[in-house]
Amino acid sequence: MRILWLVLSPLIALAVGLFFLGLSRRVMARIHWRYGPPLYQPLIEIFRYFTQKGSSHGVLFGLGIVLSLAGSIVVILFLPFGGICSMSGSGGMLVVLYMMLLAPLGIALSGGEAANPNASIGISRKLMLALGYELPFLLIVLAIMTHYDTISLVDIVSAQRETASAFASFPLVLSGIAYLLILPAMLGMRPFEVVHAPQEISSGPIAEYSGPYLGLVTIQHALTTFIGISLFVNLVWGGAGNPFVFFLKMLVVLAFGLFVNAAFPRLRVEQAVRYLWRWPTLIAFVGLILVVTLGR
Amino acid sequence: MVSPVLLIVIPLGLAFCVPLIGMVSKRFARFVPVVACLFNLVVSVQLLPAVLSKPIVVDLGGFGAPFSINLFVGPVGILFSLLIALAGFVVSLYALAYIDKGPTTRYHTLYLLLLVGATGVVLTGDVFNLFVFFEILCISSYVLVAYRGDKDGVESAVKYLIQGALGSALLLTGIGLLYGLFGTLNMAHIAVQAGSADPIPLFVAMALIVVGLGVEAAIFPLNAWLPDAHSSAPSSISAILSGIAIEVGLYAVVRMVFTVFGASSMLSFLMFLGVLTLLVGELCAFAQSNIKRMLAYSSIGQIGLIIFAIAIATSGSITGGFFQLVSHTLSKALLFLAAGYMIYRSGSMDISSLEGMGKRMPLTAFAFAVGAFSLVGLPPFAGFPSKLLIIRGALADGGALLALLVGLVLLGTVIEGAYFFRVIQTVFFKKGDGETARCEAPAIALVSMFVLVALIIVIGVYPSLIIGVLNSAASELLVRADYIGRVLG
Amino acid sequence: MSLELLMVVALGGSLLTYVLGRVSSRLRNGFAVLVSLALVAMVASLYGKALHVSYYEDFLGMSLVLRVSGLSWLFAMTASTLGCLSVVFSLSYMKGKERTSFYYSMLLLVNAAMLGVVLSGDLLSLFIFWEIMSWSTFLLISYNGGPALAAGMKYFVMSFVGSLAMLAGLLTVYGSFGTLEFGGVAAGMLSASPGYILAIFVLFGVAFGTKNAIWPFHAWLPPAHSEAPSPFSAILSGILIKMGVYGFLLIIFVLVGLRNFMALGADGLPLHTVLSIVGAITILFPTFMAIMQNDAKKLLAWSTVAQAGYIILGISFGTSLSVAGGVFHFVNHAVFKALLFMVVGTVEYRTKGVRDLDSLGGLIKKMPLTFAVALIGVCGLIGVPLTNGFVSKWLIYKTLILERSPFLALVALFGTWGTILYSYKFLHNIFLGQLPEKYKDLERAPMTMRLPMTVLSIVVVLFGVLPGIPLSVINSIDTSFGLKPLNVTLWGLASDTGALNTINILAAVFAGLLIVWLVLKSGGRKVSVDQADNYAAGAAIPKDKYQYSVGFYAPLTRMVAPYLKDFMDSFYMRLAGWVGGLGSGIRRIYTGYVGDYAMYIVLFLAALIFVQLTWSPW
Repeated sequence: MRILWLVLSPLIALAVGLFFLGLSRRVMARIHWRYGPPLYQPLIEIFRYFTQKGSSHGVLFGLGIVLSLAGSIVVILFLPFGGICSMSGSGGMLVVLYMMLLAPLGIALSGGEAANPNASIGISRKLMLALGYELPFLLIVLAIMTHYDTISLVDIVSAQRETASAFASFPLVLSGIAYLLILPAMLGMRPFEVVHAPQEISSGPIAEYSGPYLGLVTIQHALTTFIGISLFVNLVWGGAGNPFVFFLKMLVVLAFGLFVNAAFPRLRVEQAVRYLWRWPTLIAFVGLILVVTLGR
Repeated sequence: MVSPVLLIVIPLGLAFCVPLIGMVSKRFARFVPVVACLFNLVVSVQLLPAVLSKPIVVDLGGFGAPFSINLFVGPVGILFSLLIALAGFVVSLYALAYIDKGPTTRYHTLYLLLLVGATGVVLTGDVFNLFVFFEILCISSYVLVAYRGDKDGVESAVKYLIQGALGSALLLTGIGLLYGLFGTLNMAHIAVQAGSADPIPLFVAMALIVVGLGVEAAIFPLNAWLPDAHSSAPSSISAILSGIAIEVGLYAVVRMVFTVFGASSMLSFLMFLGVLTLLVGELCAFAQSNIKRMLAYSSIGQIGLIIFAIAIATSGSITGGFFQLVSHTLSKALLFLAAGYMIYRSGSMDISSLEGMGKRMPLTAFAFAVGAFSLVGLPPFAGFPSKLLIIRGALADGGALLALLVGLVLLGTVIEGAYFFRVIQTVFFKKGDGETARCEAPAIALVSMFVLVALIIVIGVYPSLIIGVLNSAASELLVRADYIGRVLG
Repeated sequence: MSLELLMVVALGGSLLTYVLGRVSSRLRNGFAVLVSLALVAMVASLYGKALHVSYYEDFLGMSLVLRVSGLSWLFAMTASTLGCLSVVFSLSYMKGKERTSFYYSMLLLVNAAMLGVVLSGDLLSLFIFWEIMSWSTFLLISYNGGPALAAGMKYFVMSFVGSLAMLAGLLTVYGSFGTLEFGGVAAGMLSASPGYILAIFVLFGVAFGTKNAIWPFHAWLPPAHSEAPSPFSAILSGILIKMGVYGFLLIIFVLVGLRNFMALGADGLPLHTVLSIVGAITILFPTFMAIMQNDAKKLLAWSTVAQAGYIILGISFGTSLSVAGGVFHFVNHAVFKALLFMVVGTVEYRTKGVRDLDSLGGLIKKMPLTFAVALIGVCGLIGVPLTNGFVSKWLIYKTLILERSPFLALVALFGTWGTILYSYKFLHNIFLGQLPEKYKDLERAPMTMRLPMTVLSIVVVLFGVLPGIPLSVINSIDTSFGLKPLNVTLWGLASDTGALNTINILAAVFAGLLIVWLVLKSGGRKVSVDQADNYAAGAAIPKDKYQYSVGFYAPLTRMVAPYLKDFMDSFYMRLAGWVGGLGSGIRRIYTGYVGDYAMYIVLFLAALIFVQLTWSPW
């Protein structure tokens, strides 16, 4: 059973992630008064990319993106998905936090090898932005871990299920709000789109990708979206007892993200970091203080 | 057994032979101080075991104390005479090569006289006799400072002379007062009666004597002559002045305060004065750009440290103070000797002119580094056990005031470390102006330096070699009754 | 295998290396390698032994002792191994430089002194070796001349202040207990008053903290590490500053005792809390400083300060988990930071001394192996899973969360993100991006450089995948401190509050890599293209200018630089200026006018007599 899930969960994540990508393009199109591509457009694109010729800039160019994608897959194995977690008991949330590093790091290495300054600029922005949202994010995660006194994600989810969700657990409300405020940044949506900024730096880190490499990047994008949203659901929205409810919750979160995406213009990286270090951090900080002072 | 009188008589006689020999051959005259110092060294070493078991008192003129002039060769005396002979020997070796211009015969005569004066001061048991030897020491050093005959030398010599003469005058006045009070000039005899004397005249006499001697001992604020004199004298003389002359002055002060007057109430004042001298010396040295002035100020600092240690007046701290005295004599002599040839080769006393000397004269530079490391108190050199002992002695009594003073002393040490290491960096690691030709000091000078290097390292690793002498020297100072008993029988 | 012999080999080897250097440089190099290898073997053979020999019976009434314990073995092993690798690395790095005999001899002397420090069985030997270590380090830091002189000076003065504080501390201890042997001191400390212990701890803490460069004593480290010769920077950063960690472990667990230590200031501000806050500051501030640096070695140096903060943070909690984390992080940091300094050394060697992050780039094409080991080292530094840094950081984070210190955990975790930023900058600006024309014909690193780097990178991975190997040694140290042993497995930890299983992670990562690799392989044809074959919006690619590395994090720098003032450093510099000014001021006393001088003498005499006549204090 466990083996089966080990194989299945990345696939499910991929399916959900691609669906989300398609959905978001469609929703955005509708907001723009366009018709938009079909929902399965990302899948078509991936197949197309894999059949095309790709130009490589060196061994690390391929290795980096492989590493990045593998990192995302491993994170998925560590994430509970509606009561299912393939890799509980191997290090818990701390490992997830670290494994989430591999995805941007892999892209960064691979993009750096491409020797295109646009890629370098994008990576530098990505890292700065990450430094921006990691501060409130860590505050949130620490509040949750301290509140439930464990570093295991599975335990966090099951503890939340006793009280319906973290939103219902009074000390964590502020943390939940802060998480909502930084979610677009973590998903790389507008107004925090400065990393890719197609019109400005030619899609930044992925400027040099083509063919199968671009295919992997698209898969990676789908998985990252999945991870970002499912982590939110797991950490502050009580996870779910079965995959279906979990999926529904994710959908709601995505919808929120899309509306923000549609409504705001792009921020410069300084503005973004300044924003992230101001309100979300402050709220998350107060949240953590509440958790520490109120106890469980 | 040899008589300690020879320690004074033989070098004195030889000193007057130098001009005679010089008339025959100037080359031979150079060796007279070497021989004299070697003689003193051998005699001192021979006397050492006997003295350690029982101090030797020699009455001159056949009368017993208190009527005659006597020599008191206790552990302190023998320690100093050993040190004088040793430093004198090493420096005279160095001078064989270094003193090659000018009236060399006169140099050697005066040099020997200086050493005779120093030895006399530390061995005599009579206050007036002390004054006489002290004058021999001072006058010969005035002249030697001006040996080069250049403007700097003469000017500093005159300054030194004026201040020294003032000091001597005060000293003599003090001695006169003492004679008036007690009708005797024998140290032990005065010591016996000091307790019952009228306190005010006694204090005035003591103040006069201590201040008078303090000029030579370089106690702040009486030490203004020192930086000038030490820096403009020939380096061999600087080595002797820093390594011997001020130590002898210090000896005289300590002997007076501890043995003659038994003024234990003065000690805490001396302690402060020591720390003050230390800080002033180190701070001034830190601000110097002239290597010899820096070394001279550093001597002031070291003297301050020794005064501090001795004034704590526990056996541990006095031992430490004497240890520091030994290590300072060795290290400072070494520093001046090494700096002497580096200055000679580079032609300037500016620290920045020593750039690249580490490559041009590696052995000399190495010797300099050893001296500096030792003076700063780094293991495994001689300065380390001495600083260890002093601080151990100071902290042993556990008082807050002493702890504070120790803090200041350590602060001074840090400053000292800073300026010495700055020079070491300049010598070894600064890229010089491209001059890379080797120009090592002559062999005989190197020999003299490496004798000191070896001594510094050996004493640093095996401090127990000299700790016995130092311990008994400390108890000689502390147990006044013993001294009186020995002399007066 | 006696300890005296070990020290004789270590110290004698250093001396003999210099002597042999006068004969032949090849002989000297061979001998230096041989000595350092012999030391590794000798230290290794001490594993698990508990020896105690008094090698100098009466040094001013104190006896000097050498001893080996689990703790000292670990430090000695790390020191000798790094020493050996650094000597090997130096073989090419130092080729053709001047005064190499001096360099090798000092390198071995530092190595010997470090072994002496950790093998000392009494405080005086510790101090003696500590001082020898300090001055020999000073000489090596100053070796390069130029800016290295100021760096060396700063190092020496700060380190000297520290060691004099230690001297005062150890002599106070001697005054109270009459012994300096660890056992005797520990016995005396049992009944000592908290105020006394605090005073001793502060005195020693200044010494250890300065060596370990924890805030606010960090100021010497960045210039010293960046100006020293690179193989020595590796030692400096890898092991030498960790002597401070050894000192802290020694005083907390061996001398003062954990219970006494935790009780210090327990009713007000506990000392261990202060220490952990200092650790946190030491993580946060230097991490951001590192992000701002443009000199590869300075970047690594600031990073070293930050990592020292993690170690102190771990130790200060005093639980078996945290101490294991702290000690393990020390080992790990020694490995990967030495590796990274060697990487910079290699780059410096090949590019003739360039370590400016703004003017390099694309070297991965020319030195692939160097890049690979740099990547591994950087991963260890960040703490990417399956490298050693991950396990030790995991232990520290877990402690912080379990001990309910989320704010310290925040600093630690956030510091890791900062680490990613500067690590990537390091990798990118040296190895990635465009290769400048002038480095087109760069050769790859010579064998003697590749060998030590490869060894270290293997260790990084080995300890990351099989953390049980070092952790079992560290566990025995924990036990010797009287802490509860951890449940160590070869793959990590088994525990009830969240286990760590590296083999699962390894399997998952490998499976993931394999799958993705297969997917990539199954895709269309891949062609390799030149670095100039890039997207430039249709414009021609300007040679040597199509590179983004200057001001890599410019927006962030603009944001935080105004708040990042190293005010401790400016304070020290100002202090030094004041002392200089005070010196020049006091020098004015000596006016050069002899009338004044005579006046001083007379006035002093008059004052003496006046005081006595008025108040008669004497």
